[in-house]
Amino acid sequence: SPVLPLNIWIAGMTCGSCVRSIEGRVSQVAGVRSVAVSLEEGKGTLTFDPGLTQPELLRAVVEDMGFQAYLEE
Amino acid sequence: MTKHEFEVAMTCEGCSGAITRILNKLGDEVKFEIDLPKRLVWIESEKEMDILMETLKKSGLEVKYNGTK
Repeated sequence: SPVLPLNIWIAGMTCGSCVRSIEGRVSQVAGVRSVAVSLEEGKGTLTFDPGLTQPELLRAVVEDMGFQAYLEE
Repeated sequence: MTKHEFEVAMTCEGCSGAITRILNKLGDEVKFEIDLPKRLVWIESEKEMDILMETLKKSGLEVKYNGTK
C-alpha cells in the first residue's frame, strides 16, 4: 500500500532525550513506517500508511507527550 | 490533599517542560512542583496515584513512585 511523507513541527525539545522519546513513541503508532526527529530543525519527518493512520492523529500523539506539534511551519 | 513524589528521568528543560504541559492538562485541581536536577516531581491531588503515574508516563520518560510526602 502507498506510503506518504509527513512533516510535524515540534516546539519544546531541547535535548537528545526529548528526540529519542518522541521517535520511540511515534514509531510505535500503527501505520508509521519511519520517523526521524531533528532537534536543530525542530521537526519530525515521517512516512506513514494513510490506510492505518492520519497526520492529525500523529500530531496529537506528539502533543500528548507534552510538546507543541504543528502540521504547518 | 495527598502529596505524591515521583522520580521522572528528566534530563533537560525540554523534558521538564513536557511534564509541565502534561500536568497542566489535568486542570487546576492538581498542584505540582518539579525539581529538574533531582529529577523529582511532587503532585498534590485527590486523583489516584496510578492515574498520576499514567499521566506522567505519557512523556515517554521512565517514572518511579517514591510514595506520599
